[in-house]
Amino acid sequence: MYELRKVDKKFPGVHALKAIDFKIGRGEIVGLVGENGAGKSTLMKVIYGAYQPDGGDITIDGTKVRFQNPRQAMDHGIGMVFQEQSLITNLTVMENIFLGFEQQFVSFGVINWKAMSAAAKAQLAKVKLDIDPATITSSLSFAQRQLVELAKVLTLEERVDGDLVILLDEPTSVLAREEVELLFSLVRDLTSRASFIFVSHRMDEVLELSDRIYVMKDGEVVDVVGHDEADVDSIQHKMVGRDVDKEYYREQKQKPYQADAPPLVSFENVSAGTRYQNISFDLHPGEVLCLVGTEGSGREAILRTIFGLEAPSEGKVSLKGRVMSRFTAQNAVSLGVGYTPRERKVEGIVGGMNVYENMTLSQMRNYANRGGVLRISAEKDLAREWIDRLAIKTPDVYKDCGGLSGGNQQKVVLAKWRSGGSDIILLDHPTRGLDIGAKEDVYDMVREMSDDGVGIVLVADTLEEAIGLSHTIIVLKDGIAQKQFACEPGNKPSLFDLVHHMI
Amino acid sequence: MDFERIKPHLPWITLLALVVIVGIADANFLRPQNLIAMAADIVPLFIMALGMTFAIYIGGIDLSAQSVANMTTVVATIALPTYGVGTALICILAGFVLGGLSGYVTTKLFVPSFISTLAIGGIAFSTAQWLSGQRALFMDATLRDNTFGWMTGNTAGIPHEIFIGAFLVLATYFLQSRTTFGRALKAVGAGEPAAVASGLNVTRIKIMAFALSGLLAAIAGLLFSVKLSGGSPTLANGFLLPAIVAVLVGGTPLTGGVGGVINTLIGTLIVAVIRSSMLYFEIDATKQQMVFGLVLIAAIALTIDRTKLRVVK
Repeated sequence: MYELRKVDKKFPGVHALKAIDFKIGRGEIVGLVGENGAGKSTLMKVIYGAYQPDGGDITIDGTKVRFQNPRQAMDHGIGMVFQEQSLITNLTVMENIFLGFEQQFVSFGVINWKAMSAAAKAQLAKVKLDIDPATITSSLSFAQRQLVELAKVLTLEERVDGDLVILLDEPTSVLAREEVELLFSLVRDLTSRASFIFVSHRMDEVLELSDRIYVMKDGEVVDVVGHDEADVDSIQHKMVGRDVDKEYYREQKQKPYQADAPPLVSFENVSAGTRYQNISFDLHPGEVLCLVGTEGSGREAILRTIFGLEAPSEGKVSLKGRVMSRFTAQNAVSLGVGYTPRERKVEGIVGGMNVYENMTLSQMRNYANRGGVLRISAEKDLAREWIDRLAIKTPDVYKDCGGLSGGNQQKVVLAKWRSGGSDIILLDHPTRGLDIGAKEDVYDMVREMSDDGVGIVLVADTLEEAIGLSHTIIVLKDGIAQKQFACEPGNKPSLFDLVHHMI
Repeated sequence: MDFERIKPHLPWITLLALVVIVGIADANFLRPQNLIAMAADIVPLFIMALGMTFAIYIGGIDLSAQSVANMTTVVATIALPTYGVGTALICILAGFVLGGLSGYVTTKLFVPSFISTLAIGGIAFSTAQWLSGQRALFMDATLRDNTFGWMTGNTAGIPHEIFIGAFLVLATYFLQSRTTFGRALKAVGAGEPAAVASGLNVTRIKIMAFALSGLLAAIAGLLFSVKLSGGSPTLANGFLLPAIVAVLVGGTPLTGGVGGVINTLIGTLIVAVIRSSMLYFEIDATKQQMVFGLVLIAAIALTIDRTKLRVVK
């Protein structure tokens, strides 16, 4: 009943969706899987009206439609349950549920709160949530908020006559197992009225819930599999484009690190308020140390401390044998720390500045005389050298880095630190949003840096990546180190070993 | 061709179009003497706009520029009999310190620059009132000519103001494009979080940007004071709006990161042409600020980078 035909979407430098065909029938639950950057979120945004496609048709029951904004999509029965929760936390539950649709409760310009409360109660009953609709949203648990989001979208049942299509974007990521079960049974009950599109990273859940699964890769639908013939391995294979094996993470190139050399970074019982407590580790030359844990487990905060963006409250942090007392990024950079942030476009590169300007940004002093006058030709030489060395795809050194692809931006950031002689590199989700080829380039660079005696602290994008790349893994939970694993090639911990300590 | 591609060229196209339109309306406008006089006349405003460019380039604004210039006219007039040429140094230092203070308040106390500079501007204005006793002060003509006569002299038919303006635009252009400080300014304007994560001392860079703005506003005030041979706390009133207009129509958007001092040169010339065209089109002088207000709104609406703005308040 809802159908996309040959839908295309382009962004500057990226062909995000390539002639997508997508169909969903009445009461169907359709899974949507793909790696980061495969085009899932873009497709979702086209479906719920946040993006307008550049080509192709969207039809509902055979009628062509075009949504200018999510509100218009809602009027046609298409609703979105957001991954990053879209509730406004300082409003009450009922205000959130009817946000933007209060008119129905207004008489003489005044909102009839009793009527709204009753209506909200009815919505909450649909998701079997028994709370007072006048509760302030911030006092709810994450699972409860997720259900309120769903209840909010389900108001479409009353507002719209036809069938509903509800998108669920990573709805289970913050839920415990029994809450997931509850959500799934709810979704199954609701198929009498609505169809669902379910996006998740948890492959087993997608397989469990979906009637059909769309597999996306590089902006294309590479396969559609039915519930019965689906199996995790073959889907994963299609997502990645080939088998995920040891070679992928360059395990054969992993060499032992210099355990006898003096440590580059040393933490002794370091705590930072409630973010992490009592953390101790040494980072050696040539070592890849991976911090594993869920979001907010303290891994990012530890990186920020090493880079000087967050001062610890207790304990001793030393960089290259020097005990740190002032925590600033300038300080860390001058001691040879380089930070490759997760938000590449925000903290990694400066959009609007060209390749050589970005590469020398952290080390302008090396390319200027004492009066601060830059030697621009030397900067360009440096940029050309690193463009060759890392095979950065750019027409020339004058190209605005904001217009490069994600993988090439990442290479520019790495070139910035490496060319400046940084030997402590912090990688925060270095492969997020990159395509496969670019990921492999990053993995190669990690191994090369290790060979050069660089110490790397990694927060990986996936657990597989963490296991594949590191010499040492520290598992964190709620800011406390749970367990440390040594990861020699051929003797790496399994996913289960890690997850077990994470949750 | 889409608008984003034309946008960088909009300023000089606008300038050219305006010159042609006014030139057709009245051919006298295009006479060299007229053009030179017009350029010399706009120099104090231009210098203030140059300073303003630095504040806007990093994504801030300097609303104190006019008051700092006002204060400088008073300080210059009072200091001249005692300190002679040293007066220039006092003025420049005063501007630098006040601008730096705005920068300090903005970066260390987290007061947005439009408020911090407004407040510092209030302080400067008040100081001017207090120092002058709320009267217009006059310079001794011979003393002025002996000390600062060179500023307003004439060589081969070209007023010296133009040389001063040219020198300052070259100096600031060098600073912007060839020095580590200029590069750092660009990084802060175009992507402050990345500048922080590259280990730049962003606080110091921002303070310096505001200090430079103050310094140039003070030079503008000094020149204006010498030109008019006196000082008063309201002498430079009416400068602020055109100075901001000059920066923005020149192509340095409020969000910062692109544009620069050459853009401001073009922007100032646009302001100059608009201003003198009012003469030719017989628009009353009292309506000038109305026109500049409208031009300002149009310039911001056309040039601002909306991807950088999540919410406008």
